[in-house]
Order: sequence, then structure tokens, then C-alpha cells
Amino acid sequence: MKTCDLAIVGAGPAGLAAATEAAELGLDVVVVDENARPGGQYFRHPPAGFRPVGETPWEKDIRRGQSLFAVLGHPRVTYLPDAVVWDMPEPSVLAVAAGPRSGRVQARAVILAPGAQDRPVPFPGWTLPGVISAGGVQNLLKGQRIVPGTRAVVAGNGPLLLLVGANLVRAGVKVAAIIEAAPIWRRLPAELVRLVAAPPILAQALRYRAILAHAGVPILAGWTAVEASGSQAVDQAIIAPIDETGVVDRARRRRIDCDLLVTGFGISPAVELPRLLGARLRYDALRGGWTVERSADFETSVANLFVAGDGAAIGGVELALAEGHLAAQAVARRLGRLHAGEGSTWEARWTRLDRFRRGLESLYRPPRSYRALITPETIVCRCEDVTRAEIERRRGEGAASAVQLKAATRMTMGRCQGRNCLPTLATLLADWAGTEASAIAMPRPRPPIRPIPIGDLAVEDLPPPDLPADPHLPRGRR
Amino acid sequence: MPRRVEIAVIGAGVAGLCTALFLARAGREVLVIERGAAWGESSGANAGTLSLQIKRNEVLQVSRRAIELWRDFQEIDGIEVGFEQIGGLRVATSEREVAMLRRSQGEQAALGVETEWLDGNRLRDMAPWLGPDVRAATFCGWDSMSVPLTGGPGLARAVERAGAVLLADSNVVSIRQDGGRFRIGAGGNSIEAERLVIAAGAWTGQVCAMLGVDLPVAADVNMLTITEPAPHLIDRVITHIGGILSLKQYPNGTCLIGGGWQGRGELAAGTRETEHVSLMHNLRVAMQVVPDLAKLRMVRSWAGYEGVAADALPLFGALPGVAGAYVNACARGGYHQGPALGEEMARLMLEGRTGLDMRAFDPRRFA
Repeated sequence: MKTCDLAIVGAGPAGLAAATEAAELGLDVVVVDENARPGGQYFRHPPAGFRPVGETPWEKDIRRGQSLFAVLGHPRVTYLPDAVVWDMPEPSVLAVAAGPRSGRVQARAVILAPGAQDRPVPFPGWTLPGVISAGGVQNLLKGQRIVPGTRAVVAGNGPLLLLVGANLVRAGVKVAAIIEAAPIWRRLPAELVRLVAAPPILAQALRYRAILAHAGVPILAGWTAVEASGSQAVDQAIIAPIDETGVVDRARRRRIDCDLLVTGFGISPAVELPRLLGARLRYDALRGGWTVERSADFETSVANLFVAGDGAAIGGVELALAEGHLAAQAVARRLGRLHAGEGSTWEARWTRLDRFRRGLESLYRPPRSYRALITPETIVCRCEDVTRAEIERRRGEGAASAVQLKAATRMTMGRCQGRNCLPTLATLLADWAGTEASAIAMPRPRPPIRPIPIGDLAVEDLPPPDLPADPHLPRGRR
Repeated sequence: MPRRVEIAVIGAGVAGLCTALFLARAGREVLVIERGAAWGESSGANAGTLSLQIKRNEVLQVSRRAIELWRDFQEIDGIEVGFEQIGGLRVATSEREVAMLRRSQGEQAALGVETEWLDGNRLRDMAPWLGPDVRAATFCGWDSMSVPLTGGPGLARAVERAGAVLLADSNVVSIRQDGGRFRIGAGGNSIEAERLVIAAGAWTGQVCAMLGVDLPVAADVNMLTITEPAPHLIDRVITHIGGILSLKQYPNGTCLIGGGWQGRGELAAGTRETEHVSLMHNLRVAMQVVPDLAKLRMVRSWAGYEGVAADALPLFGALPGVAGAYVNACARGGYHQGPALGEEMARLMLEGRTGLDMRAFDPRRFA
């Protein structure tokens, strides 16, 4: 088994910052990342060999990313790209699936920096071709230089909509409208005092706003997409006003022609590994749903297991960078490589960024629920094609809990392992029980955390198994 | 006021539901008491393997009858149990295992279960997808598979249609025998029954202890893994002479891999987790037998309890020393045998004797 001082899961902003700090402080580091190339979502860039024509708008981000990637060549850093952490049999052990490089890594401390995933919000037509999540569109634009449409509507909630809208405009797409569920214009004056805490980020947001204004893109605040219509692919987005409690006013609905409907209802921390290890979680609707409880050092309730960045609670790239540095410093202190009080220049920055975050999340506070969008015929589980009506029929037959509904409908059992439907199931169950999604018991996560090729389990050297002499007798507990 | 019934069945897994089904069909008044949800534990979490040739000699007759009943559930009663009689291959991968397989084949033939010996080209012709390490196999035309996930709700509805009543979320906390009747405290309910069947799977030891009977029951924690849907690859139920592999591909393309590899867990604590290294060994055996599995992606693994008596034979019959109480639980491979064990239990309670020879399963062997 490979050993190191610190194992980092994820080579996005938080993971790279943690690796940089840890390598400088003299720790032996292993960085495991799912992607073929470092940078995560934010610093995503085209594969080697792509020759972009002219300067692309995120060239500056890419250059900033490149300087972060340098750490991966550091002599104390082992970088495993294209590598999935599929199990953590103990809090100090990562089981890595990476083709011929598969095997376990034992670390004295672990920093999880897995980032976030799109928060699924189903509505009629959301599975039509041409309806793409904001994260997916960003990947296509940044990672592949693919423009997935000609006339777009960008709908959902959160600051990412401005960014995606501006990127689409700069890529030559006609953006018909930005549809923002939160009444941001009404809330903006009250939040300005906190938003000025991070002037560079605010300036960037204003730049995106200016690009959209220059292209004549209207921003409708307090509206939501309620349906994607079209037979083979989306040809219209249907939108309607939504209030802060989630009530939709369908009488005022409008249709907008488009061949691309970008949906971005916020992002959620990828909490699978902390959940698997039994780390304490906390439901926080403003930070993406289930978030990881952490100490001031970003340590979870499981000793020597840290989480940095959006993988713990949504905060964005700058906060993720700060948390990566701070978590690595905490690990170095724990391992005796750094004295208390040293190396804390990131703390003041984190505090300022956190103040900005509080302003931003208050500005963009989403409606209490999107359940009004989930009509009976809406597909909730897109791997197994399970509609809300089917879930309700099974519920009528007695399947009451998430686990029973899962068994009865096969929802959550597809390739996405429930990532696209479990949050919705929690919403529905909470609704029926007259409680909050935070109170709903979810099925226990189990390895593999991501689907992995079975062949990857044949790589590691293992001692031969202890086989039963009589296969029929009780095997006994381990 | 306690609820009065003729027969109370404790446990709504396969053993309890099938017992209730045959009793209710005979016109008896039956209440099934379940601590959680019907089919919520081992019956819903097992591999659905209905392989006759992997069974111990003592349970061959029961297991053969059970396959007929599973087929009837699907084809006559219209219960969606996913039954498919595709035949099975029991493989051997070493000289020692080949000898074990030969011996087992002979013993089974003597008991009236014929299998076909396959090796060399004949084996590759039938199953070209087997790996080079597989030296021989026996083919059993009885071997079948089912889908545990969908079978439960269908069977529960059939039990209710037959007239029995299901009481879920009612954990039995006390049983007293009083004036020839059983008084059962379960999840806030008070129930009075003339007769009682304990079909509580891994929890059977705990329930019998409430009546002062000590039965040696252990809880194994069996692991299973399922793959993503894949193109058609495996068209037989695969088992292993060493008892370390079960493998099948369902019509939706997913492959289910098991073999009794042990996870971690404690019945008392309600924990049942996968065990990393054993899971790797389980999947390595699967890849040794069917190498093409290496290319498929695994999507989920899980672990479920299996209640097993010390000698791994069913606990079936009258509970020693407690008139009117019966036990029907803890058969190794009990999911497979459940329908026949239910049928025989109903027969024993209604007619005082069984159709098949069930003497080896009498719980008095532990008294």
C-alpha cells in the first residue's frame, strides 16, 4: 500500500491550493483526481493539442490555473489523474481505481476537495435534448470549445447564471434571457454592504452584467423555467413567476423560442465520501443542501479528515483556494511541521470572503421549494425513467420510505447512483410528511462512490483470501 | 383490547409470507407481524439465485419443490418475481475442486437430481464466455433466477388477496403464553393468537428467547455487487463448487455478483457494511470465471443479513416445549427454499404432517 503524509482528493482550486501549501511545508503529498487534466471545474481547459483560434474570454483563468498546476510537478507531490476514489475503507485509506495504477493509499491525514455537482431540479421536458445544466455548458465551452446551441435561455438560480450567460454571449450565442428565481433586484440594496467585502469578485460580476447588457440580454428576476417544450429537442422554454415560498403563477407564463435551455439551480457539495465515513453533516439550503460540519481548521467530525472548498459547503473559487491553504496548514500543524500561529495570512482573507459569501447567498436565497415544477408526468429519475406519478402510485401501495420507494420503482439505482434524483425524492418525502428535506432519512451510501471498472479491483497485490472449509456452514463475522 | 387472530406469523420475509400465503389460502385467519417493512431485510437484499445444484443434500427435495412454486408464482399467480429457468453452471477451477464437483454430482444423482458433466470443448460450446481457469462444470436444468427486489411487493399483495393481514412497523417485544393463547406485544399493538409461527430470519434467536427457547442462530453479512447494464454476455446462472461465487445477468443487462463473501456488521447494532478486501476477492473470483466482467463498471455494492443455524440446515417444525408455536427460519439459501418451506409449514399446521421428509430440520436437534 502506498503511504504519504497527506492525501488530497480532487485537483480543483481547493485541492491544488492544499497541495501547494503542504508541499511547501515539507509534507509528502498524493493528489488523486477524477479528471484527466487538473483544475477541476473552474480551471477546466482544453486537452493538449487543442489550438484555440484567438484569445478566449477565460484565458486569464487558464493562466492563473497553470500557475497552480505547477505544484503537481513538485518532487514531494505524487499526482494521480484519471483516478477515482471509490471507497474509503478507513478514514486514512483511499481506494483508488485508476486502471493499472489502481490500489490503496494510506495517509496520515486526508483533505477532501471533491467540489460540487449540479443540483437537479426536475420540470416537464428537462430530459429533452438541448436542455443542459449550467455545469455541463461550462464544461463544453471551457473544456471542449463546443458551443451547444444558437439561441439560449439560461434559467435557474444563483450567480453562475450571469457567468454562463456572459460566456455564451462571448462564444457568439444569442442569449434570449436570463431567468433568475430569486428577486435579486429587490434584495440588492440591502446586501451591498456585505458584497463590497470582496471588490474583485464584485467587479467581475459587474463585468458579466455589462456583457449581458451590451448584448441586450434581459434578466428576469423572480421567474423560473416551468417547462421545456419540443418534440425531438427543446424549441421553447416556458417561464412563469415564482415567489419566495415556491408558488408559481402559471397564468402569467410566457414562451421563449430557443434551441438551448441552460438550467442552473445552484450546486451541491459532493458529500459522498464524508457520508460514507459517517462524518457529521448539516443541512444548509443556502449552501447547496447537505454540507459537512467542520471545525475552524476545516476538520470534520472524523479525526484527521478535512474538507476544503465547495465539497464542504458552496462558497466559490476564491474561498476554496483559501480553505485549501488553511486546511493544509492545519494538517501540517497536526503533523508537527508548522507551529501554532505561523502561516495564517489566509485567515483574514477567508473571513472577508466569507462575509461576501453571506451577502451573495442572501441575495440569491432560492424559493423554499421547486416542487411546484414537478408535475405528475415529470421524470424524476432519469436513469430509470421514473415519473412523479409512478412514485406516488407506489407510495399509495404502501412504499413509504426512500428505501422502499427505491426498491419499488428502481429509482436511484442507475448509473448516476441517485445523484440526479435523491434530492428530489427527499423534497417529495418531506412534502408528504409535512417536514423539511433535512429530516428525511436517505439510503446509506456504499462503495463504489462512482461507477468503476471491475478490472481495476484486480490490480493491487493481496494476500490470498481465507476461504471457508465448508461453504455451507455459517461464515462468521469479521 | 387485544387483536385476536387464529394464527400469528412473525416476520414478513419470504418464509413468513409464504407460510401465511398457504395458510390463508386454506381459509385460516392469519396476521403477519413485521418489525419493519415487508421484504425489507434478507429477502429483498439477497442475490435471487435459485440454484438447485449448490444446495446441501439434505435440502435438495425442498429446494426442487421451491423452484416449482417460484415458477407457479410467476406463471399461474401472476406475481412478478422475475423467475427465469435458464439453467445453471456450477464451476470448478482447480483439480481439488474438480474432484469435489465429481463427488457432489454423484451424491446428487443418488438423490434423484441429475446434472450434466461438462469440460473441454463441450463446456466452451455451451459457455464460451467462461475463463480458461474453469476446468469443469455441471449443468443443472432446474437452476433458475429471480429478482428479489420486485418479488416482495407482489408476494405481499398476494398474501393480502388470500385474506391474511400484514402489520408492518411492529417490532415484537414480548410473547407470553397464557391460557392456551399467545399474547404478543408488537410496536404498541397487543395481539392474541391461538398459534404462532416464528419466521424472523436472523432475528429468530431473539424471538424464540422470548418463549424461553435457546436456538443457535448466527447472522452472516453477505455482500453483493451489481454492474451497469451491459450487452448480453452471460446466459446461465453461475455458481461455484467452493460456494464463493454466484453470478447472473438480468434481462435489463445488469450482472449481479455474490458468493457469500462476508461484510462487517452486528445484528444487535443494525450495522451491515461492505468489507473492502473481501469485496475485491469476490469480484476477482467473478473475473476469473467470466473474464469479460473486468470491462464492466460496478455501480453498487451492499450487504444483507442471513440468519443461519449452527449446522446451516433449516429450523423447521414445532418449537420444543411450547405447544402451538412453530419455527420456520434460517435455512442457508432460505430465499430459494422459502416457498416450499411455507407450503410444508402450512401442511404441518393444518394436517399434522408434512409432504416431504423434514425430520432433519426439527429444531429439537438443538434442544
